Amino acid sequence: MPNRRPALNPLTTLAAAVAAAVMTTAASSWAVSLAVASAAAVLAVRAGVGARLAPAAAVILAPFWLSLLIMHGLFFPEGRTVLAQWGAARVTTEGLGFALDMGTRTAAYVMVFLLFSFTVRLPDLVAVMSARRVPPQFGYVLASTLTLAPAVTVRLARIRQAQESRGLVLRGGPLRRLAAARQQMVPLVLALIQDAGDRAQALDSRGFNASRERTSYREVPDTAAQRTFRAVALAAAAAAVGLRISGHWPEGLWMVGLWPDAPSPVALLAVALLARGVPA
Amino acid sequence: MKAAALLQAGITEFSYHGEEAPVLRDIEIAAAPGTLTAVLGGSGSGKSTLGKLLAGWMSGGHSGLFRGTLHLDVQGAAPGGDSSPLVFRGSPDDPRINPALWSRHVGYVPQDAAALLSTVGSTVAEELAFGLENRGVNRQLMQSEVERAAEAAGLTALLDRDPATLSGGELRRLAMACSAITRPCVLVLDEPLGSLDHAGAQSVRALVRSLLESGTAVIVLTQTVDELGLAADHWLVLDGGTVTARGAPGGLAASAELLQSGVVLPAVPGYGFGWQCRAVAPRGADSRPATPRPDNPRPATPRPADPRPAADTPAVLELERVSFAFPAGRGGQGRGILKELSLAVRSGEVVAVTGPNGAGKSTLLRHFNGLLRPGLGTVRVLGADIRGVPTGRVADKVGLLFQHPRDQLFERTVLREVLFGLDRKYGPEAAGKARAALTAVGLGEQLETHPHELPASAQRLLALATVLAREPDVIALDEPTVGLDRHGLERLDDAVRAATERDAAVVMVTHELAYARQAADRILELRDGSLREL
Amino acid sequence: MSQQSQTLPAPGPASVRGRRLLELLGAVSIAATFIFLVLTQPADITNGLASGSTLVALGGFLLGAILLIIGVLPTLPTSTLVLIPVALVLNIALGQIMGSTGLPFYFDAIGTVLIAVLAGPAAGAATGALSSIVWSFINPTVLPFAAGAALIGFLAGLAARCGLFRRFYLAPVAGFVTGILAGVVSAPIAAFVFGGTAGAGTGAIVSAFRAMGDTLLAAITKQALISDPMDKAIVFAVVAMLVYALPRRTALQFAFVRRFNVLAGKTQETPGD
Repeated sequence: MPNRRPALNPLTTLAAAVAAAVMTTAASSWAVSLAVASAAAVLAVRAGVGARLAPAAAVILAPFWLSLLIMHGLFFPEGRTVLAQWGAARVTTEGLGFALDMGTRTAAYVMVFLLFSFTVRLPDLVAVMSARRVPPQFGYVLASTLTLAPAVTVRLARIRQAQESRGLVLRGGPLRRLAAARQQMVPLVLALIQDAGDRAQALDSRGFNASRERTSYREVPDTAAQRTFRAVALAAAAAAVGLRISGHWPEGLWMVGLWPDAPSPVALLAVALLARGVPA
Repeated sequence: MKAAALLQAGITEFSYHGEEAPVLRDIEIAAAPGTLTAVLGGSGSGKSTLGKLLAGWMSGGHSGLFRGTLHLDVQGAAPGGDSSPLVFRGSPDDPRINPALWSRHVGYVPQDAAALLSTVGSTVAEELAFGLENRGVNRQLMQSEVERAAEAAGLTALLDRDPATLSGGELRRLAMACSAITRPCVLVLDEPLGSLDHAGAQSVRALVRSLLESGTAVIVLTQTVDELGLAADHWLVLDGGTVTARGAPGGLAASAELLQSGVVLPAVPGYGFGWQCRAVAPRGADSRPATPRPDNPRPATPRPADPRPAADTPAVLELERVSFAFPAGRGGQGRGILKELSLAVRSGEVVAVTGPNGAGKSTLLRHFNGLLRPGLGTVRVLGADIRGVPTGRVADKVGLLFQHPRDQLFERTVLREVLFGLDRKYGPEAAGKARAALTAVGLGEQLETHPHELPASAQRLLALATVLAREPDVIALDEPTVGLDRHGLERLDDAVRAATERDAAVVMVTHELAYARQAADRILELRDGSLREL
Repeated sequence: MSQQSQTLPAPGPASVRGRRLLELLGAVSIAATFIFLVLTQPADITNGLASGSTLVALGGFLLGAILLIIGVLPTLPTSTLVLIPVALVLNIALGQIMGSTGLPFYFDAIGTVLIAVLAGPAAGAATGALSSIVWSFINPTVLPFAAGAALIGFLAGLAARCGLFRRFYLAPVAGFVTGILAGVVSAPIAAFVFGGTAGAGTGAIVSAFRAMGDTLLAAITKQALISDPMDKAIVFAVVAMLVYALPRRTALQFAFVRRFNVLAGKTQETPGD
């Protein structure tokens, strides 16, 4: 992939994602939520991660929406406007509205954060965090988990093959399968724990847990404009939270969704910047 | 010794928590600048524990109890004239070595080189820099140091690669470079050539040579007298956790202590060793005087010399025009592809398959019991097509042993491990069969041990016993020699012979051509997807 | 450089105190958020989106989880730290698999409980919180549950410390109790942040309670009280099975296991710690 544009600092995209999510939650309107979710989807496609993001989001959101629809669409005791009724199940306008609100809000939240995690360069994020004096252990856990995951998958496949070759038939009823799962878990966990023991000593000998301040080999570019943006985005998010909690939220404007008031463009801008994180 | 030793260790005793018997006792070892010391010992002799102890990985009481001394005599050390050794008494107020500081003087590369990697470096360069980052080195200096270390280890072209994609030899060199980047004066290498192919071993040897030339003291721990072992200035033979012999290689090469220790003595040009001592000295009581094996009542009958697999014996395993390719897009392009491959193995026959790395040897083996299914062609076991038969069922007839024994073991004791699933096949006779199989591989005395606490060689033999106990008609072995010490190799030989005597067929995949020549009736080479007789 | 300079001094209590404060603040933040939500909310959640409580729930629980992580992580020995990624992979892999089956269980705490048993309550709590944070890179909806996950790790460590893993039959009992508490803490998140539960199985149970006229929070709490204790009892039993399968040399590597004799019969007198 040609690197047309230098990537944004991971903190910038993280701040954008957080600000977008917080403001969407504070706005509490399905129209805003839907706009943010769609914007995130468009930007994901433009950043070239659409194909990976779509199934990931669908796996999370589809069962969630279904669950909401059944839960609130059919059973909403607080509902007044009854549209249909079968025995205990009542379809109410309020229930459907609640399901819509919650469904779109969660969709916006999921899309924005998936866009962040699918576009961020993890080594950059870890490097930036260690420069910001986040305990280096945090970056270690984050990066190591993501490198370990494929290795564990390979190992599990190997264990399964070795055991099948020993005459363990991995078919049959649920109890059989449970027993087979136990036989695979034990060597997997033992091996992982033993490997981890060796790695601990190796990390210690490479100075990992030293009290000294770390430096970073990887250089992550940052600009004054990005720093300003981060400050503005986070301030806007804090303002939105303040307005909402203090009860001074300009409710009506949001419901109409036409008024170009402050937080809404910022939320969209935040998402826009997020997508610049990865060169298209 | 010419120069004063940089590191001197006197180990009175070391034992792991929860274990009575010490793993190491009464060991004196010293490392002088620019010298190569080889610690030779069989599996379970305590080599790796010794290496970790020297590297400061074992102090502080978190692994076990250590009594003894460690003395680091680095130039410029002890500005205050304080160069007294660190004394460990196995008590709570023992000194606790700071591994980060110790590793600047004594580097260690474990047997599994990948264990040294941080798993967080996304490129080789970052992995090399990890140790420097932790020490707060500034970025410019770090970059030049990374370049220097990469240059020395021949990794310059690989600096931007993901460490997970490196080959065995490259990984070993990366681990060594990670240890050497702080320029330690002593480097301890655990099985540096283990399971490397020829090219990989050569590159590692070159790196060791350059380290020696720069004045580093190198200690190599190994269970095979390989080229590095032969190049050593000094040998220590480790057996049962203690040093049984020490001296110059020439003087020790034929010593009883070395023969007894379980160290593998491969055929090296210019040296009179065979792959095993048995190949040079005929198997008999006098060749292994001090290894009594009361658990092995079988008389030492040499294999009959006649070519037993008569042409008219029906094949127990038959592959007919088998073609196989990994699904596209899974990184398997060109690797492990079989093209109209045919193979017939008769009962009582031992067949070895060799070939370059990535030729598809393991892929071939996985077809025998249906772990992989051919795209075209047929696999027949005892005359019956195994298409559609689950692997777990084929396994009754075909026993397949993989390289990594730990993947196969899941029970709490050695005996339970072999017994697992055996009663379904044999009913009340199962216990007897299990014990017999364990006795045959020399584990008859360790029925209650936890499989994962056995030394690596014994773990492989245990995995072998789980296969043998089921008395399969075909035994397929993936790289059976890797990780086995000489005692283990002898057990393997015995097991192969016993299997052929009850008319089982044995197919082994190995990159050790010398071993294949000695063990097999027939050697086939897998190249370009098909087999040809060697 | 003298010999002695290669060694570590005995660990001092000075830095530990600051970390303890962070841990305490984290715990207080989580507890206060929970109490606030329970006291202020139950009735009007469904009248509007109640995004004020959503923000409080998210903020308070996340802040608590992050404080816990920052407080605990630097105090962990490396041997414990390297286990955390292993635990997270186990959590996430099993959690993803279980989430796709539609059963009303989660199974996403096996790794957390494993760490807690081997390394203690603080390590368990940090692992639980980290698990949610790292998992949220694939599934952002688990992020708000970080506090509940931390509580599970903490309680599992406490159970191990009290010797509940010395007998195999006690472990599921401890799991059951842990599940009750964890369920009660997580329910407000499901109610206020997501307005329901993510899985089909759990959703059906909530619907049943709603049909009987419960408020959303009550229905979700009751659902949690059905699912969580069972789930955690199974998880604790699985972990007990795993730690019994560990070789002694491996289990005794952990100071917590040695010091509190976590696994019966695997003890011995050791220096230090």
